[in-house]
Amino acid sequence: MQRLCACAALVLAPAVAAAQPVVYRLDPQHTFVTFEVLHFGTSTLRGRFPVAEGHVELDRAAQRGYASLRIETARVDTGMPVFDARLRQGDLLSTEASPVAYFVASNFSFDGERVSAVRGELTLRGVGQGVELRALRFGCHTHPQLRREVCGGDFEGELRRGDFGASFGMPFVANRVRLVVQVEGIRD
Amino acid sequence: MNKLLIAASLGLAMTLPAHAATYAIDPTHTFVFYEIGHFGTSTNRGRFDRKEGTVQFDRAAKTGKVEISFDLTAISTGVAPLDKHLQSADFFDTAKHPSAKFVGEKFVFNGDKVAEVVGTLTLLGKTQPVTLKASQFNCYTNPMLKREVCGGDFETTIKRSQWGMNWGLNMGVPDEVRLLIQVEAIKQ
Repeated sequence: MQRLCACAALVLAPAVAAAQPVVYRLDPQHTFVTFEVLHFGTSTLRGRFPVAEGHVELDRAAQRGYASLRIETARVDTGMPVFDARLRQGDLLSTEASPVAYFVASNFSFDGERVSAVRGELTLRGVGQGVELRALRFGCHTHPQLRREVCGGDFEGELRRGDFGASFGMPFVANRVRLVVQVEGIRD
Repeated sequence: MNKLLIAASLGLAMTLPAHAATYAIDPTHTFVFYEIGHFGTSTNRGRFDRKEGTVQFDRAAKTGKVEISFDLTAISTGVAPLDKHLQSADFFDTAKHPSAKFVGEKFVFNGDKVAEVVGTLTLLGKTQPVTLKASQFNCYTNPMLKREVCGGDFETTIKRSQWGMNWGLNMGVPDEVRLLIQVEAIKQ
């Protein structure tokens, strides 16, 4: 009887866990990392990094996921070329040595079908630190032109730039940096 | 006698109300960002890079006036074809209306901090009321400039259809647009 049950469970298992991870290629036109940092305790400086490439795997049935992003810190864009050039220097983003930052995550939390948080490692200036991104919203829709499923949302997280060695200008420009991430992925 | 005059004038100076001072907008720390939802999934962001304006500000009398105009041909989303579409007649129609202007005539204070600026936004040739709410406000002495700088972060949510910007409303592109304003102004 026990053997029969185990056998039945084995037969049933593939059907129950039929969901395979679905791969989504990140859409660089709708995927950007924006940083926010407080200037002299007064106003918020913002800058934008393009995401060169990335993909996300979601297994919603198993509530698992994996994400990998290449963030182009060398192409930082604040709207002020002089400030962008300053940010690229060795005591801030150090883009000559490290033109790209990486975010790799395999710890996903779900709220039903929706991704609610992603914990992973951000490697910036060659320094890796744990970062948690929380979903402000997450949704999927069928893209009307592509006729494919697109999933994405808005995520936020924070880091202390000093932990990565990007410490110029503290404390006039804050150590705490808020990350705001727009992300959309097109189903492969 | 001279001494008396000096003492008297010093005494007067201390009791006289602070005069309204003129502050010039610091273009390196003044930006408008917009946020608009994309297919109920993520948030598209854009930034206006070129601007000029002045602020009259009297902290003691709790009054102020601000005039700032934005060059709409300097819109930056990080996606060149989108920048071009936004400048077309579908959206900002920059060939006919190259700039937008905000005029704030009423400053609402909370203590000695500006909490709201009530004014009008002119866009596409139409002028409509807008109230900007401060999420933070502060004044500090800039150590490099050795001058007082006041500024903060403001935000408001507008309905673009009020200015006749209706493209995509029937396709689900939202009417509501959130504006995030970073502003710093240097005492002249």
